[in-house]
Amino acid sequence: MIEIDDLHKRYGDKTALDGVSFSVKPGEMFGFVGANGAGKTTTMRILMGVLTADSGQVRRDGRALTFDDRRRFGYMPEERGLYQKMKVAEQVHYFGQLNGLSPKEAAKATGDLLERLALTERAGDEVGALSLGNQQRVQLAVALVHDPEVLVLDEPFSGLDPIAVDALAEVLAERRAAGVPVLFSSHQLDLVERLCDSVGIISAGRMVASDTVEALRAREGRRLLKVVVRGAAPDWPTGLSGNITKNGDEVLFADANGSDQEILRAATAAGAVEHFGWERPTLTEIFREAVA
Amino acid sequence: MNGLWLVARREIVTRGRTKGFVVGLVLSAVLVGALAVLPRLFSGPDSFTVGVVNSPALQSALAGAAGNAGDAEVTAKPFADEAAARKAVLDGDVDAAVVGDRRTLADGEVDGELGALLESAHQTAQTQKQLAEAGLDPAKVSAAMRVTPLEQVSVGTDTRYEGVRTGIAFLLVMVLFFLLLQPSMYVAMGVVEEKGSRIVEILLTSIRPWQLLGGKILGLGVLALANLVVLIVAGLGAAAATGFSADLPPGMTGIVLGTLFWFLLGYAFFATMAAALSSLVSRQEEVSSVISPLTLLIMATYFVSYFAAVEPGSPVARILSIIPPFSTMVMPVRTAGGGVPLWEIGLAAALMAAATAGMLVLGARIYERAVLRTGARIKLSEVVR
Repeated sequence: MIEIDDLHKRYGDKTALDGVSFSVKPGEMFGFVGANGAGKTTTMRILMGVLTADSGQVRRDGRALTFDDRRRFGYMPEERGLYQKMKVAEQVHYFGQLNGLSPKEAAKATGDLLERLALTERAGDEVGALSLGNQQRVQLAVALVHDPEVLVLDEPFSGLDPIAVDALAEVLAERRAAGVPVLFSSHQLDLVERLCDSVGIISAGRMVASDTVEALRAREGRRLLKVVVRGAAPDWPTGLSGNITKNGDEVLFADANGSDQEILRAATAAGAVEHFGWERPTLTEIFREAVA
Repeated sequence: MNGLWLVARREIVTRGRTKGFVVGLVLSAVLVGALAVLPRLFSGPDSFTVGVVNSPALQSALAGAAGNAGDAEVTAKPFADEAAARKAVLDGDVDAAVVGDRRTLADGEVDGELGALLESAHQTAQTQKQLAEAGLDPAKVSAAMRVTPLEQVSVGTDTRYEGVRTGIAFLLVMVLFFLLLQPSMYVAMGVVEEKGSRIVEILLTSIRPWQLLGGKILGLGVLALANLVVLIVAGLGAAAATGFSADLPPGMTGIVLGTLFWFLLGYAFFATMAAALSSLVSRQEEVSSVISPLTLLIMATYFVSYFAAVEPGSPVARILSIIPPFSTMVMPVRTAGGGVPLWEIGLAAALMAAATAGMLVLGARIYERAVLRTGARIKLSEVVR
């Protein structure tokens, strides 16, 4: 269990983090979302120990993180960093060794990962000669080569094509299944919604929400009732309570919690009811609401 | 410790196989080899041709003296009469001519070395002739006249090898300048490469800053040391191959070992300084401006050691050879010039070792504090406290 507890960080008179707290359980995939400059990268850098917090603590299983703990983490920084003039396999192998693998172990892990990420053919090429998408895969291989116990990935999906996104998602799901806490940040909310068990939303240095995706949805107060009636008079909802938005045959009722049965009766009277149900808010809607 | 070796090995492997390094190594070796034999090519003729007219005694004395080690070679060329000999001298066919065992003809003055050789041959020839005329056995006479030449021993400053020593000193100035500046630049560029690409963020979650910094300095230092050894071997090898090594002053082993010692201290000092300064910036374009204090310092060291190579005994050279970091180049240059008291070398070494240790502590601190702060250039005052 990774716990981030009340992190504060200021740069001069600008507050970057103002009491950020959340936790990631073993086997949990945690999506970290927030607008640009909200504090995602700062939080992750503090978590990885490359930046020092003004106050607050990062713990693993109740114990403050040490350098040796972090050596067993896999990290992908926001701005990608690789030696451009070093060959792909050599580079992955090097980082494996730096993280404590023997040359033999590192060689095996490198071979497996490159195979997995469809980079085997490029193993002997210099990283700088690869496309950005492929460089990103190498970056991921560097983060994964030592079979890390915790994964911290800053925007791992940015710049990847849909096939690479699927490959990366698969690899992450595998690690999660192996009991690894996976924390990643992303602007692609549909992706986060699809992949993550939990989501943390950060805005202006504060966590505005942090829970499982289901709980966030349940907590969302503004529920929408969507009704589609075929062949009804356009003014059929007139006189019904709730905030009404019309879009062709589709009518959305906001704040209709108490009057749903009344709306149903009116709809059946008006025509053939094709759809009647509560809309689940998307993560994008939750996010907009949360940071508003 | 393992991290340090891994980093050092990466530096050696990736830098050592670049075209730039290999070409630089080969070119510098060729250059040093050529410079080592150059004085030999320009040191004037070691053989003379002398015209002889009716001077049988001198001619045989010259023939007898031929082959003495260390002496210039003199070839005698007989002429029928003085007029023919005169013409040959004026035409430059011979360096001088001797007529009738009495007079030397030359175009202007006789070359000093040749004059001495001719005079000595003349003395020998005439003495033998006169002793034989006085009734002595010619064999006994020549046996009696075979004398071991005086051995030169200097009780003051040994100036016999002055020219060669100055030559070696100049070579050292150039080689040390090149091999202190170049790897320091590599260190600076490597630091910024890692900082600018943020690769340092990944590295420093795996290894400590001192391992990354130390490994880089160590790895590039091994390459530079290998380069220096290659240059020394090239220089001494070229000298041996051309027979020049017979003219090398005594104590070459000391000069070589001293050079290696001073190089190691100087490299550790300048490379650490390069790493600390370059960790303040995040872009390669900013490297040269941020390390300008370092380049200036190395340039200054280069100029003072150049001066010391010309005037190794001057008070300025003596003082600078003790002050760090000038000592890293001035002291080996002075040592090549000879006659440096041991206590001065010891003092200079102790001071430089202390300066290097101080630079390592300070440089590591600056590096550690600055290398993760990417973005705008960091002021030195922000990281030194």
